[in-house]
Amino acid sequence: MRGLALLAPGVGWLALFFVVPLAFIFVVSLGSRDELNRITFDHLSLDNYAKAFDPVFLPTFLRSIRYAALTTVFSLIIGFPIAYWISRYGGRHKVLLLILVMLPFWTSYLIRTYSWTILLRDNGVVNSLLQAVGVIDQPIILMNTDLSVILGMVYGFLPFTILPLFVSIDRLDPNLVAAGRDLYANGRGAFIHVTLPLTMPGIIAAGLLTFIPALGDFVTPDLLGGPQTTTIARNIQDLFLAGRDWPYGAALGFILMAVTLIGTLVALRTLRREVVGGE
Amino acid sequence: MRERNRWLTGYALLVYAFLFAPIVVLILFSFNTARRGLVWRGFTLDWYPKLFANDELLDALAVTFQVAIVAVVVSTVLGSLLGLGLARMKFRGRGATETLLLVPMLTPEIVMGLALLLFFLQLFDAHGSVPQLWVAHITFCISYVAVVVRARATSMNAQLEEAARDLGASAWGAFRYVTLPLILPAVIAGALLAFSLSFDDYVVTTFNSGVGGSTLPLYIYGAIKFGVSPEINAISTIIVAVTATAILIAWRAGAFRTESDRPVAETT
Amino acid sequence: MTQQREISQIDLQKELTRYMVERRVTRRYLLERIALVGGAVALAPVAAACSTAGSTASPSASSAAPATPAGSAPASASAAASEAAASLGPPEAELNILNWVDYLADEVITAFEDKYNVKVQQDFFSTTDEMYTRLGDDGGGYDISFPISVDVPDMVARGVIQKLNQAAMTNIGNLGAEWSDPGYDPGNQYTVPYMWWTTGVGYDPARITGDAPTSSKALWDQRWSGHISMLDDYQEVFGLTLIQLGYSANTENTAELDEALELLKQQKPLVRVYSTDTITTMTSGDVWIGHIWGADRYAIQETLPDFAYYIPEEGGVKGSDTVATFSGSPHPNAAQLFINHLLDAEMSAANTNLIYYMGPNEAAKEFIDPAILDDPTINPAAEIVDKLEELLALDQSVREEYLARWTELKG
Repeated sequence: MRGLALLAPGVGWLALFFVVPLAFIFVVSLGSRDELNRITFDHLSLDNYAKAFDPVFLPTFLRSIRYAALTTVFSLIIGFPIAYWISRYGGRHKVLLLILVMLPFWTSYLIRTYSWTILLRDNGVVNSLLQAVGVIDQPIILMNTDLSVILGMVYGFLPFTILPLFVSIDRLDPNLVAAGRDLYANGRGAFIHVTLPLTMPGIIAAGLLTFIPALGDFVTPDLLGGPQTTTIARNIQDLFLAGRDWPYGAALGFILMAVTLIGTLVALRTLRREVVGGE
Repeated sequence: MRERNRWLTGYALLVYAFLFAPIVVLILFSFNTARRGLVWRGFTLDWYPKLFANDELLDALAVTFQVAIVAVVVSTVLGSLLGLGLARMKFRGRGATETLLLVPMLTPEIVMGLALLLFFLQLFDAHGSVPQLWVAHITFCISYVAVVVRARATSMNAQLEEAARDLGASAWGAFRYVTLPLILPAVIAGALLAFSLSFDDYVVTTFNSGVGGSTLPLYIYGAIKFGVSPEINAISTIIVAVTATAILIAWRAGAFRTESDRPVAETT
Repeated sequence: MTQQREISQIDLQKELTRYMVERRVTRRYLLERIALVGGAVALAPVAAACSTAGSTASPSASSAAPATPAGSAPASASAAASEAAASLGPPEAELNILNWVDYLADEVITAFEDKYNVKVQQDFFSTTDEMYTRLGDDGGGYDISFPISVDVPDMVARGVIQKLNQAAMTNIGNLGAEWSDPGYDPGNQYTVPYMWWTTGVGYDPARITGDAPTSSKALWDQRWSGHISMLDDYQEVFGLTLIQLGYSANTENTAELDEALELLKQQKPLVRVYSTDTITTMTSGDVWIGHIWGADRYAIQETLPDFAYYIPEEGGVKGSDTVATFSGSPHPNAAQLFINHLLDAEMSAANTNLIYYMGPNEAAKEFIDPAILDDPTINPAAEIVDKLEELLALDQSVREEYLARWTELKG
């Protein structure tokens, strides 16, 4: 009952300002266009959905999943130790250290990305360093590759990983970890059997907050990527804007959302079941 | 133990270096003489005074902060309640609520942006405005806050608050002195994420901002056509510098010594 | 059919420009003539604050612009202005513009604000498609924006664009003759041309060694593999490729489109990036030769002074922006006055000098930096212009054919 009171304002907000607007776009996805490219609803149909199941979108869809998955994995691997460090050794400076993680992101996205270009281009800082050290003779192509895209995405989404991880690790009772270390006689055992299961809600949250927005990212692949880095979100954007075809774009958007939602819910259920089993 | 600490600290410094590497470049290039492009041409301070004469840019900055502050406050409150409620309650419809929370995050930005545009246009004949941006930003921020708070609250013992109430605390008192301190780090983390989401949003913003509602990202992306000038680096540098100074002062004044200093164990 | 006419007009333009530059036709003379044509000199109230911008206009061209006698210009300018105003009601207190960043010179806006006591509010977009979405069916609360010429007929048919009040367009005579009756808007009834441009190939001569390239085939040259860029714009990319194949840049023939797609697929392994942000990709040094919008060349040359641009010998693409006001414009009088203001010779020149795009304004040429006028890539010779093809607004079904192939190419 009190749960409902807690949920009501947020659910009400999302129902009014998200579900209702989304319903508008759903109706659009059933419509068609007249000769002046205006949307008409004379005969609603699922034609746009049939059209959107086009194998032409498969490569970009698979690429988006690959980028998002790699971004999530790298972000978790990079993010967990630092979240742990802030929580355990941050002492009185925890909030300060957290804000420092966020500070770079209060600049402009575009300018940060340009800065990466300056670092990664053929004659950039990274290539110069590598050449100076003697690792390479000729500049290697770093920009406009999968590497630069994933690096840019990991950079961009790292705070979305670190913050929820920190929040969860910070809840961890150090006595439990100490007990675990006694029990398993080494740090690794304690980590696998105590720390990891107890922080699993945070890891799941961090994974969600990284994977889902990463799946929808098309600006990073556009700005740091090359000829072969287009993502599905870019296709959708192109249908809406360059194609000026809202019904078609909306249909592809809803298909993507449905697939992602089902995948996410299945993954969540599996993960949570394991967590429950672990506790 | 100490060994591990040192190793971890070194690692942490590396991650901070990674996070700040492009920011160092960004700050450096705010002193570049070249009007556009990515090549260093020489040192100048000119962009800073120019920036303060650029009314459009300053207006955009003001709108950005105005939108971000409202979005952060409202979405943090709504999202925290939502996260707390979800974590605590086992009731019918939890799955549906959870799904409702996920969908805004996995909605392509262009779909959300145009959905809100259509919504305001059809129902209110509104062509975009700062309040419309508040609504839009709050809407895409709520889920992020809720997911973070929920992750923290999930492992929290709900009986704590009940115990406090049994001991005579009012509902508000129990929340204020028991629950809130426990979830506060998550609330802060959620607010920080919401701020950076709102501050950098482009796609949803462009379709919901009306006359006089151009935010900083709109101005900056609009400048790509003719080359983005170091003024943008300069304004970013100032934001970072002001924030860093404010944080430092607050820190020296002891502002961040919250209950989160030590992990709160379930006092058993 | 208009092509033949265009050539002679361009010739005429060039002749006229040369004449004006050689004979040092002064701004005063020109303005007096404009005022005479307007026929309202005697009635003109002399607005005190008006047109201080004239003297500060076009800083980048300050070395080139002829010195002008102060004093007489404001009177004549305001004469034309008040005449424009007379045919409308009084201007409203505000004017909302939806625009690219830096697409209007500051002094142009200040001059307008001072002259009519109107506060100009600008908002920004980063792609034209975003602009169209925000304008919606009636302008979305904006008074002024800059649709591409090819999209004008559709917007007129949908009732988005508000017809111009011809009586208020006192400066319309400044337009070059070839712009007085454009195909997309006969008689400039709804819009006024703003700027026009070409698309071609730009390269860094330090990297692209050997004979200077002249064909768009240079973008398929194995030697520059990994350092070639193409615009991230399907109509431009297919346009260039179709022209190279000897077809129309606006073909509706799917077999020709397939042929172009095949050629682009062969090119893709050589391509470093598809991007419209060529100022960044070129100056970063990663791209040596690329498909670019002609005017960007100047921005790139600030970093790479030797950077070269050419219109492919097979032919190139041209386009133009218009200025329009909208059916839901909240400040219609100010909007009409502003469009007329942009037609002013000095204002048009100030804009060209800022952004390096040629305007359609014949009278403006006196005030334009001669370096821009003499640049064959911005102000091309007639035989080049002859080969330029304008990208058209495609029918829905044709657009889908293009976009499907574009998606396949980039997938």
